[in-house]
Amino acid sequence: MEKGTTIEIRWHGRGGQGAVTSAELTALAAMREGKYAQAFPSFGPERRGAPVLAFNRISQDTPIRIRSGVVKPDIVIVLDPGLVTLINVVDGLKPGGALIVNSTRSVDDLKQEFSGDWKLAVVNASAIARELLGVNIVNTTMLGALIRATGIINMESLTEPLAEKFGARSKSNFEACNRAFKETAQDKITTTGPKKQKSFQAEKLPRWNELLVGCAVTDVGNTKRFCTGDWKSEHPEWNDAVCIQCGICSIYCPEACISEQSDGYFRSNPFFCKGCGICAQECWTKAIKMVEGS
Amino acid sequence: MASKRIGIEASLAIAEAVKLANTDVIAAYPITPQTHIVEGLAEMVANGDLDAEYIPVESEHSAMSACLGSSAVGARTFTATAGQGLILMHEVLLVAASMRLPIVMAVANRALSGPLNVWGDQSDAMVTRDGGWIQIFVENGQQAFDQVICGFYIAEHPDVLLPTMINVDGFHVSHVIESVEMLDRKTVDEFLPPYKHKYVLDPDNPVTLGCFAAPNMYTETRKALDTAVRESKKVILEAWKKYGDLTGRYYKPIEQYKADKADTLLVLAGGYSENAMDTIDKMQSEGKKVGLVRVRLWRPFPHDEMVEALSGASNVIVFDRAISLGGPAPICSEIRDTLYSVEKRPRIASIVGGLGGRDVSPADFEKIFEIGLERIKSRRADETYMYGVRE
Repeated sequence: MEKGTTIEIRWHGRGGQGAVTSAELTALAAMREGKYAQAFPSFGPERRGAPVLAFNRISQDTPIRIRSGVVKPDIVIVLDPGLVTLINVVDGLKPGGALIVNSTRSVDDLKQEFSGDWKLAVVNASAIARELLGVNIVNTTMLGALIRATGIINMESLTEPLAEKFGARSKSNFEACNRAFKETAQDKITTTGPKKQKSFQAEKLPRWNELLVGCAVTDVGNTKRFCTGDWKSEHPEWNDAVCIQCGICSIYCPEACISEQSDGYFRSNPFFCKGCGICAQECWTKAIKMVEGS
Repeated sequence: MASKRIGIEASLAIAEAVKLANTDVIAAYPITPQTHIVEGLAEMVANGDLDAEYIPVESEHSAMSACLGSSAVGARTFTATAGQGLILMHEVLLVAASMRLPIVMAVANRALSGPLNVWGDQSDAMVTRDGGWIQIFVENGQQAFDQVICGFYIAEHPDVLLPTMINVDGFHVSHVIESVEMLDRKTVDEFLPPYKHKYVLDPDNPVTLGCFAAPNMYTETRKALDTAVRESKKVILEAWKKYGDLTGRYYKPIEQYKADKADTLLVLAGGYSENAMDTIDKMQSEGKKVGLVRVRLWRPFPHDEMVEALSGASNVIVFDRAISLGGPAPICSEIRDTLYSVEKRPRIASIVGGLGGRDVSPADFEKIFEIGLERIKSRRADETYMYGVRE
């Protein structure tokens, strides 16, 4: 890192995927190297599966005072592959910055999605995490991709923070991190060539004098428009050959989004299913399997 | 207009006003010195004199919660409390304001613990100052009766829809039996239209009330609420004009007593204003240029009226019946703030007294004038002086 500069990182994850832990470990590692660093979540009520943010600021030699959110990051890291098409992950990403994504897709394929003067780094962190950690929680794995793509911290600096955070499990987490370091593929994103970058609409918010008396909300049932189904990274699939049509899945579904079809078998509504997996857990005949992707 | 003058305790005059207003729901918890108000109402409901739902609750927090619910379904709602009860209500109090629910509440102003003290001062009202309620101070039983009726008019007006608090000094007003001119049902019906809120909880026409605002919305909601409180003054003035035309009793946000030619003005809110009137009469008869300014409307703060009332005087003595521990006394600090932008402004002395029920007689107010003027003269006016404390 150059003297006098502050690097800002924005982490995109889903509630429960550990983006906040990623940011924390990054800051702790940087501070071990004598740098100044900050890590913080987006402040508010977080919900499992909902898109969440976490932030870092890292400075070589200057104490960091600013306490506001990062809006013009140097580095963006995306923990969940689905988020790339769901939200504008490159919003405010500085020219010359880096976008680091967990995806099964190749660098060549993924770079068609973006237009900007950025570096793109891609690793299939979910596969690594499942293999080495047994769960699709990629927060420590993605640290390897961060180190590979930016060198903002050294791999060794993570050893102690990982040990403090994960105890006996730190070894496998460190291994996942190292594996991602090796398997991260990189390329430059350009502004030219075929692009299919999605445009994202900014939320339109009312002026103060457009609010109804007492902030009453009159468009009843508007929560139906809030399709929380895009919070999931896994979805249930039914094996009807094993299913006994008992309906236990629909009873246990906390979102009440599993219903019986005309043929007597059950399915979830993908617009509201958050992929929690409770149906698969409760199914008597193991007819439900959680499958990656939304 | 049909009216009759009767002897009645101020608390019961308030209960009568609530009855005449055809109140639908009363939810309250008894607490001294407010108990007589809700006892009176409970009796009226029990005897069938008032067709209302009386909800006895287990605390003031529940009282205000029940009021919030009943006001939100479109029922005319009243409650009363005092001191610690008002403090216990505090959480729901602010929600009622933000939901724009026109609950009317009489507060028999009482000192705050600790030490425990059930007697009167205005600390309770001052603590709730910033919560979005309209606040009106009264000085006697008649004004208490009038302002409860006006309170419903103001609170429920479609341009206002804000909860309204009528501050009645505990004991010195609440418990005094005096003569009050009552109104008949027909007159009150004529003055007070039925309560109709645009957004009520109704299963046939569902709405969401009292929901959540993230950082990208909260500031706008507060701006909207602040504007509503400020702009309620128009309707307050309208209500008081109409009520005056009907009864001959006119009210103003800032009221003066023999203050036209005064060089030194005493400012205060609540029942002791009447004691101070005797003081003014006596001192004026001795040729002293003194006058009295009474704070009727406390929220929204009547900035222009206050400037007009005070800017002609050389000296202003503000008497607060509440203390801001470690800071300037509440009414005085707002008056100083108000006068700051006035080019030729009077000098101000801040005096705190009458705390926890300690009496402040007309003779005391004479001393308060003396002390205030002395402090202005000796340039010690910036400091709050505590009247009557044993040194």
